Amino acid sequence: MKFPYGPAPLAILIIAVLTGIGLAVWVPLSQPPDYRPPDLVLATFVPEQAEVYRAAIPRFEAENHCKIEIELVDQKALQSRLQSALQVGADVPDMVELMYGTMGVFTKGPLEDVGLVDLTDKIKTSGLYDRLVTNRLSKWSSRGHVFALPHDLHPVLLVYRRDLVEQLGIDVNKLTTWDEFSRVGREVVKKTMRPDGVPEHYMIDMQSDGNDTLILLLLQHGVGMFDGAGNVTFDSPAALDVVCWYVKQVEGPGRISFPCGEGQNFAKAMIDGLCLFYFCPDWRSNRIELEIPSLSGKLALMPLPAWEPGGLRTSTWGGAGLAFTKQCRNFDLAWRLAMYLYYDKAQLGPRFTVTHILPPLKSAWDLPQLSEPSAFYSNQSLGREYAAMAPFVPEEHDFAYNSIANAKLSEAFTNASLYYKVHGDVGLREYARAELKRCADHVRLVMARNVFLKLQPPQVSEASGK
Amino acid sequence: MSAASPATRAPIGWRLRSRGTPYLFLFPYVAINLVFFLIPLIYATILAFYQTNGPARRAYVGWSNFTFVLKDPDFHKALWNTTIFAIFSIGLQLPLSLGLAMLLNAKNDRFKGIFRLAIFAPNLVGQVFVGVLFSVLFTPRYGLFNRGLQALTGWGLEQQWLGDSKLVMPAIIIAAMWMYVGFNMIYFLAALQNVDQNLIEAAKIDGAGPGHIFLNVIVPAIAPVATFVVVTSTIGSYQLFELPYNLLQNNGGGYGPSNSGLTIVGYLYQNAFTNGDLGTGAAVGWILTFIILIISLVQIRIVGSVGSET
Amino acid sequence: MNSLQIFVLVLAAIFVLLLPFSPRIAFKYGRFALLLLVGTVMLMPFAWLICSAFKTTDAMSQYSFLPPLSEISAKTINLGNFRTLLAPQPTVQGPVTFWRYVTNSLFLASALTMVSLFFSSLGGYALAKHRFAGRNLFMIYMLASMTIPGVVLLAPNFAVIWRLGWMDSYKALIVPGAVGAFGIFLFRQAMLGVPNELIEAARIDGCSEFRIYLQLIMPLVRPMSGAFCLISFMGAWNAFLAPNIFLQTQSKLTLPVVLNQYMGTYVQQYGVFLAGTLLAMIPPAILFFSLQKEFISGLTSGAVKQ
Repeated sequence: MKFPYGPAPLAILIIAVLTGIGLAVWVPLSQPPDYRPPDLVLATFVPEQAEVYRAAIPRFEAENHCKIEIELVDQKALQSRLQSALQVGADVPDMVELMYGTMGVFTKGPLEDVGLVDLTDKIKTSGLYDRLVTNRLSKWSSRGHVFALPHDLHPVLLVYRRDLVEQLGIDVNKLTTWDEFSRVGREVVKKTMRPDGVPEHYMIDMQSDGNDTLILLLLQHGVGMFDGAGNVTFDSPAALDVVCWYVKQVEGPGRISFPCGEGQNFAKAMIDGLCLFYFCPDWRSNRIELEIPSLSGKLALMPLPAWEPGGLRTSTWGGAGLAFTKQCRNFDLAWRLAMYLYYDKAQLGPRFTVTHILPPLKSAWDLPQLSEPSAFYSNQSLGREYAAMAPFVPEEHDFAYNSIANAKLSEAFTNASLYYKVHGDVGLREYARAELKRCADHVRLVMARNVFLKLQPPQVSEASGK
Repeated sequence: MSAASPATRAPIGWRLRSRGTPYLFLFPYVAINLVFFLIPLIYATILAFYQTNGPARRAYVGWSNFTFVLKDPDFHKALWNTTIFAIFSIGLQLPLSLGLAMLLNAKNDRFKGIFRLAIFAPNLVGQVFVGVLFSVLFTPRYGLFNRGLQALTGWGLEQQWLGDSKLVMPAIIIAAMWMYVGFNMIYFLAALQNVDQNLIEAAKIDGAGPGHIFLNVIVPAIAPVATFVVVTSTIGSYQLFELPYNLLQNNGGGYGPSNSGLTIVGYLYQNAFTNGDLGTGAAVGWILTFIILIISLVQIRIVGSVGSET
Repeated sequence: MNSLQIFVLVLAAIFVLLLPFSPRIAFKYGRFALLLLVGTVMLMPFAWLICSAFKTTDAMSQYSFLPPLSEISAKTINLGNFRTLLAPQPTVQGPVTFWRYVTNSLFLASALTMVSLFFSSLGGYALAKHRFAGRNLFMIYMLASMTIPGVVLLAPNFAVIWRLGWMDSYKALIVPGAVGAFGIFLFRQAMLGVPNELIEAARIDGCSEFRIYLQLIMPLVRPMSGAFCLISFMGAWNAFLAPNIFLQTQSKLTLPVVLNQYMGTYVQQYGVFLAGTLLAMIPPAILFFSLQKEFISGLTSGAVKQ
């Protein structure tokens, strides 16, 4: 009797049965003989971190007689899964590595509702507080309570095409302020203009939609999305200065920048020297080295130009933090694991060589691996360059409405940028001020809707006096 | 077999069994729908009137979620974006699909299968790939799309399709066209192959030109399928979410400069997950459903009245 | 004037030249040229995909398609991406190879398709050939339920799945998608064309409803079954959102989720991702090739010629 559904469904049915049987048989067979359910599960979203942790785990497991599972989860899935799970009280991993800007969502209600363990006291009593760069803790705190351990500092430098910069006769030591940098940039663009009106080289890679690179410049100028008390601050006068300056670098006759994007596009831009300077936090220095081996020896690093002479010459971009969910089965073991993975000086040296990420642990900055010169970066020592900037990394405050604040800032910026394109400098400042205020007010409105936040208004955090 | 109802001749036992069957056959659908659709929907609806923060805490806020959404300029932007997308999608994609179907229908050679596969191929890959592909294609200065456009028309090399607020929606429309034109083409191809050739021959004998044949023979014949495609495409367009999500998502959860790529469902996801406000998300969901229902009803009404005139 | 513009002009010129000679051949050529252009545009991304799967990271950054002949060597074009892809990944449950993910995807897609086929056709039969109280109301409810976007139900669904204890299992992916209004309507449309006389004759002969369904109706709507299988399989094969959220153990993940892991937040391994996408395209492509004709004929309402 022929299969009534037809030949194709029959084939699919056979595949279903075969693979089903295969899986049922394969799964028990492939498990190692000493398999037992893990004592702790750590979920992370960064593949390189997962690899590094998995390599480091066996020693910890042997010393503590336990089994640890490192789960690699897509960042967005981690976010929605964690949120949904915490919303309904479902099972969650014991420890979660969170991406910057995403912790706010879990802390937007009353403190006792936060599904993450409050680490403030433990950090103080274990002496960790004195060993870390303390103002980094603000990034992972809410209302003065710390909920995640900082993984990094991510100080930002500028990486530049040394060969092209020398060719064009630019002295990077003179680029000490953004005004000077801007002036030299305009000269470069003019000097390398092709006949068709498109410059051969731009000065610097800046995003034109008012996102990460604008935010890091704002931080360098001492302005964040929020201040320590949870007030929206991106419509302050200092922010207005930065926004107006930024607009002029990205649009119009004085344009010195081009948005080189990420990944493949960024690599191509670097190879062609489309921009001479690029913002380079420590994680990006590793990425460049891995993705564009052909540029070895042609790149060098320098601190950011300051906003005023003698001012701050670095900023920060990105970050990950380790949080412990309240459902953690064994907090002491988890804490020991965190200390082992994040702050074990013996491991941080070799790890730096692999990931180039500077730990927030002050005592780790004199490790020998950090002083090693890097042939890729013209024999500069990555560790030393970043460690020099590390103590000055500006403080950031993370709140629940971080992403909507980012989106609104970007909107204000885009509108200001369009205004500049059409009207030029006339009335730009007033327009930008009005736009920033409108967008900031919208964020304030959304925050005001949160009935839980009213129950426990944000207080001034301990780390800063702002 | 005579036209007299055979059912009256069948024994009563059959009739009873026959009457029970539809309930039995539809039971799986009803059960699954109940557990995975209706109950979550009711839960989500109730949620729309609350703000929540974890399983333990809930606060009744009445209609405030709904009023907030309806007054939110971000929602208006999302509504505008989605409507523009729907209009252009239908207006550009469907004639293109129909045209391609007609081109493919007329040929009787061995290349037909290859062209069909070529045009349908975009459906073989997943959403993540489409996001990656178009973010690479639309790169200023280096992207293939920019370079091709520059070579063909002398414009477009430096345009930032994903960074310029005026170009984000066109970029999404282009990406959606690449993805979906093949699928719709297959529908139209199926419909065209069912058109009675005798009618076309008769019209040709009567001396009708190709335009006349198209309007008066082909269009009415494919009208049911065309209606189906238009209505489902509209519903699908209003539910657009994954494409802008994969194309535009960078770290913060943005949808393009000044929300130029924000669709209604994107706005929903932003509220429900990025901001953690499930109640507002549910409110948006209901508003969207309401919008889709109204538009679908209007479309069906229009088609019905047009159809009844011919 | 550059090569692309010249090419397009030449194509158009040939058409214009042929027109006075023989309109029939001109139009035939015109159709072919148009289809060729459209086909090329559609397939260009796949050419990029195939080329990129074999390029090393450096070559990937520098060249859009393939490096010029002078630069092609084992350093720029190699199987490195595939080697990374196929290398076993260590997990707590033991090493997992790429083929495990392929099997997972195959199982999920085929099981979901079969279950869906069975239940949807049953439902379609019930709606097409049986009259019962509230049938129209029921159909309207089904239509309305199709308008609700899935994202609304994501969080509540999460709660339901968790309470059922189905987290991190394939049940969570198969059962909710087992029957959809779309499938039921497709089959209903196809079955409407089956002559009632045949059914009544079978009933009189003493067949149970299920036998009528299985042995009479289903063979008659075989094209629609083929079409539905194709749509269902491809949808399940490429499904991303639900498996991303509900599956947790690395060894249980499906292909789209695994490939997405290569596009991380900080480092994106384009080459490996594209190599994996290339391999993942093969089963749906095979299915489409074999089911092309059925797919098209099955989608028409009158699957059975009267």
